[in-house]
Amino acid sequence: MSAVIELDFNQSGLGSRIDALSKSDLDALGFGVIGFDKDGIVRLYNELESKMAGLSPQRVLGFSLFTVVAPCMNNFMVAQCFEDAAITSSALDTTIDYVLTLRMRPVKVKLRLLATPGAALRYVLVRRAS
Amino acid sequence: MNALPHLDVATEYEALLQFLYLAPVGLVQTSRDGEIVFLNPVSSQLLMPLSRDGHLSNLFTALENEAPDLRHLSNSFAGASGMICDALRIRLHADTTRTAAPETLSLSLVKLDPDRLMAVLSDVSLQVNRERLLRQNEAWLSAILTGITDYAIVSLDHAGCITDCSSGLSRVTGFNPESVYGLPYSIFYPEDATTPDRVLDRLREADDNGWSLDDGWRIKQNGTRYWGSAMIAPLHDRQIDADEERTYCLIIRDITDKRESSENQRKQQSCDYLTGIANRRAFFDAAELELERAKRSPRPLSLILFDADHFKAVNDRFGHPAGDEVLRHLADTLASTFRQIDVVARIGGEEFAVLLPSTAIEDAMAVAVRLQKLIEAQMVHVEGHDIRYTLSGGIAAMGPEVNGLADLMKRADQALYAAKANGRNRVEYWKAA
Repeated sequence: MSAVIELDFNQSGLGSRIDALSKSDLDALGFGVIGFDKDGIVRLYNELESKMAGLSPQRVLGFSLFTVVAPCMNNFMVAQCFEDAAITSSALDTTIDYVLTLRMRPVKVKLRLLATPGAALRYVLVRRAS
Repeated sequence: MNALPHLDVATEYEALLQFLYLAPVGLVQTSRDGEIVFLNPVSSQLLMPLSRDGHLSNLFTALENEAPDLRHLSNSFAGASGMICDALRIRLHADTTRTAAPETLSLSLVKLDPDRLMAVLSDVSLQVNRERLLRQNEAWLSAILTGITDYAIVSLDHAGCITDCSSGLSRVTGFNPESVYGLPYSIFYPEDATTPDRVLDRLREADDNGWSLDDGWRIKQNGTRYWGSAMIAPLHDRQIDADEERTYCLIIRDITDKRESSENQRKQQSCDYLTGIANRRAFFDAAELELERAKRSPRPLSLILFDADHFKAVNDRFGHPAGDEVLRHLADTLASTFRQIDVVARIGGEEFAVLLPSTAIEDAMAVAVRLQKLIEAQMVHVEGHDIRYTLSGGIAAMGPEVNGLADLMKRADQALYAAKANGRNRVEYWKAA
């Protein structure tokens, strides 16, 4: 596996590229990655995301994304997009402007929502808006 | 003094942070102008869908459309500190495409000192809806209960069969208590006003809502009709899952003397002004409910659409008052041909719909053809004219391959179109193209 990670937040087919990354590769990415399973349980949480939120991975991994980890995304703008994609078994790849409450401060971000039918994990990618 | 020598500040900070992340209410701290300094995730969850510009920098701006006077309320608050508003209810703009979107937020705003405000936000949609339902039920109950002199109380088992009853039973219904044990409570209804499926539906609805209420024609032991109200309430523990252990209480009242006032109220909302049968809206409400029931415990369900043939020619030749008379005649004939449990409605100019619960498509066809022949054989007398007209009908049945009410309506409409195309004065089944 290549040691140099040059994944871009906007590039296409990003979901399957992230699936293939090792833990250290994930931690080297320039954007936050939250991966969760079909039950909404967080299975993947990279270092940048952990630093931005101020939460260490052990407080997050194994917990429910939309109720315990990121209740701020539990509305039609984010959570329902994933639900709709699951119900219709369709792929989701959309980028939205959002405001996260990182360490209780409003922070403008871009969220990229990724879901592929049949894939083990869905992803929310987080990049601070410049 | 070092009171907490082992305190790990970083760990404590993280735990506090998570405490705020997880708080199930929205917490926001702002400057006196509403500029957001701190906010927790639930605040963002509730406020982001309201934000027009995708920002969340000012609380007053975020709520500008829903609570436009908030800024003024805050600015005009005289004290240096104190409660600016306590659990203020903010009605959000209804968006029917979002299934679980909040409808009402509650906002409390506290002035901490001249420079800082603290807000608490929560989604109170469920609570507000529950309160509304309670108010409606209260009004309904008081309308029903006022002046009621007699009632019968009947105990039912899980299948809706009678296990016990009060002495009021013989006074209200004429039935001797001993003679009804083991019989389903449908014996209190006219034969065409309920079905074995509906008997169970009412029990399920009582399970779900805490009670099930309906009023309409009821029948006494000697066959005479009275206008009655029936309320079913579950007696069992709602947590009990075992079906056989469920028991219910049925209260029957004779409200014949109240029929006019309670019917008038209902008619204004749900009846077609010209014909007196159900209107389009009432039809769709009743049909959605019936589809829901059929989905929960599958049973046959048929829909017939009728259309008066060449109705425009009737209007042109005899005038609109005569046309109206024909429509009233058709509505009356429909209402007397179908059962009381069927939903008969005028859904368009000369278009009528009948929904037949627990009825297979062949049985629906038999009644539809009977009606079609009856209309063909009759004459309507208006202002010295004898008007004959005919009827076309299309029938479709609910099934797993039918996608909801719209799809069922579409199929019946295609069948109706086929009946028209095949020469009118006939009824057709829906067939796959």
